[in-house]
Amino acid sequence: MYDIRLENVTKKFADFTAVDNISFTIPKSSVTVLLGPSGCGKTTLMRMIAGLEIPTSGKIFFGEHEVTNVPTKRRNIGMVFQYPVIYRGTSVRKNLELPLLSEKLTKAELDKRVDEVAEILDLTSVLKRQVEELDNGTRQKIAVGREVARQPRIILFDEPITNIDLTSKLELKRSMKELFGRLQQTIVYVTHDQTEAMTLADQIALMQDGVITQCDSPKEIYEKPNSQFAGWFLGNPGMNFVPPQFINVSGSKITSPLFSQTIDFGPKASSADTFGVRAEGISVSTTETKGGVQARVTRKSIGAGGQYLLDLAVGSLLIKARVSHSVGRSAKDAVWTSIESEDITFFDKSGKAL
Amino acid sequence: MADLALKVTGLSKSYGNKVVLDNLSFTAAMNDFSVICGKPGNGKSVLVRTIMGLEPVDAGQIIVRGQDVAKASAGERNIGYVPQSFALYPHYSVQENIEYPLVLAKATDATKKEAVERVAELLRIKDLLGKKPEQLSGGQKQRVAIARGLAKATDVYVLDDPLVGLDFKLRERLIDDLRKTQEELKVSFVYMTSDPLEALSLARTVMILAQGKIVQQDSLDAVYDTPNSVASMNSLGFPEANIFPGELAGTTFTSILGSTKVKMDSASSNIVAGIRPEGFVIGSGSTSAKVGLMENLGSEFAVYFEVEDTNLVTVVSRTDNETLAKLKSKTVSVSYKPEALVLFDSNSGMRVGQGVSHV
Repeated sequence: MYDIRLENVTKKFADFTAVDNISFTIPKSSVTVLLGPSGCGKTTLMRMIAGLEIPTSGKIFFGEHEVTNVPTKRRNIGMVFQYPVIYRGTSVRKNLELPLLSEKLTKAELDKRVDEVAEILDLTSVLKRQVEELDNGTRQKIAVGREVARQPRIILFDEPITNIDLTSKLELKRSMKELFGRLQQTIVYVTHDQTEAMTLADQIALMQDGVITQCDSPKEIYEKPNSQFAGWFLGNPGMNFVPPQFINVSGSKITSPLFSQTIDFGPKASSADTFGVRAEGISVSTTETKGGVQARVTRKSIGAGGQYLLDLAVGSLLIKARVSHSVGRSAKDAVWTSIESEDITFFDKSGKAL
Repeated sequence: MADLALKVTGLSKSYGNKVVLDNLSFTAAMNDFSVICGKPGNGKSVLVRTIMGLEPVDAGQIIVRGQDVAKASAGERNIGYVPQSFALYPHYSVQENIEYPLVLAKATDATKKEAVERVAELLRIKDLLGKKPEQLSGGQKQRVAIARGLAKATDVYVLDDPLVGLDFKLRERLIDDLRKTQEELKVSFVYMTSDPLEALSLARTVMILAQGKIVQQDSLDAVYDTPNSVASMNSLGFPEANIFPGELAGTTFTSILGSTKVKMDSASSNIVAGIRPEGFVIGSGSTSAKVGLMENLGSEFAVYFEVEDTNLVTVVSRTDNETLAKLKSKTVSVSYKPEALVLFDSNSGMRVGQGVSHV
């Protein structure tokens, strides 16, 4: 297996720069998810890796081999698209076999390859069925299985779950996770869905405006965003940001309406412009607490697992707090908040984490 | 009641033998955000179309501000409407798109100007007014479509799943926008969705739509805490509540997850049970579970697991290291908080009792 190395890769469409001078290595035998909002360049980047677009400038390497101008069919890659590609009028088994027929495998080898992927993707029971009889989610699994059975060294996934109906989505995620755990290939997976990215990735390459702004494990990127953008994009809701007008920096000491007293955060705080704290980083009590800052509950809603999301106003500063069901249920107009200093991330004027 | 914006009673609609709306009733208060929530295929689209006057009803009343409009034309009903699909007119500017319904209603220039300014301000699209739809991003188009629906100055608005298909972060913003808009206008929003997380994020009042009826109407808190039916528990909650069969003997309920003493409010011989994801406790009890997909939601994981081939789901906080460590092994023990167990009659689907304590 080999890694994918990008050297100063740029792609322009007329005067629009879709990918802007990216130098980056996608590690071999792991799952890298390109995540970002629409228009961030993630699909263009993947298409250049596939050979479906040629970079305006820069080089692409698979291991030691430069592939920048190598046509797609000679790159030995598998590709799965948004809409499942299937061969109609044939069985599921035939669909999985077709690309293998040119490889001159023995019958036993052929069956082994097909049965293996069918087992991982939970397709064994439908191998004899006609593809038309199956739902979209199962069809997408067939498309995935066909690419995997070919055993290419790199497999690219372009939003493979996005257009699958809600009921099949979960099953497909489950199959992908199972599959990725068993494969040795280098996998690049494009999505705008943070839950999908966080669930499937070994590392998430977060993109914005044609550049990769951060690449880290899901846990790392969620807990230690290196920019305001990453803090906002990951999480539902994204991180709370306390804007400059609510922060008073004096050396390493910071005063804010969210703190009951001035806190010394050490040298990194001295160039702080804003700070961020996740909704779950704000502790809320429905009774007055020592050192708690009083806030007004302006809205309540419920989130995953029955937790409450509270919209709070501390003076004119608005923040969101994620609290347990019981605290949320009993929260009335006034609550008392506190924040642990380790849950705070400082950002400079340019939005970079300090 | 003067503060009722919309009152629907006994609404029925069939197509041939197929009953789509079945004697359906609900009320929506003025200055409230009401969400009608149900699984796809339960009559949502037909309900919207009958309220808007785009589809005649077989029977029933649709009372808007105290007047029955069930037989009135769409134009006479004076209800604002944000449809599900948001086709903007490509040759018109954003401003003209927003004004369009007012032009049809022969509004004066002053009225149009005032309306456009009001909704553009609310939805933060003032700087887009001169642009054409093709120059807008998906989220901006959606905001323009919502603005067009709200441009009609009235006090009752029906919103038909306007955020469906939009990506995560856009929805997060628009959910805040919609709530803020309703609060500032102090009007009645009646919002349809089949997405439970959207319903939980938006609603102050929830109506559960199932098989052509509203089976429960109450505050968000009340429906979530005391669902009156399988449909209520299933439609409102994320991840979706766990529903599984079991046997009742006296006051003891037994299922694949063990036995629990229950308190019955009504008699029932055929029971299905429900437990919300947060009702489970990982790493306790004698039931063995096979750990499946762990969906990373950021602040927590949705953890799917199997007990004797039944698929179940729970949630675990990302900071709960003790439980996360246990989940690293393929099998874990699992139990549930007895009070989290809700019992329903499997024929009627209605609530008949709940758990009290473990046996």
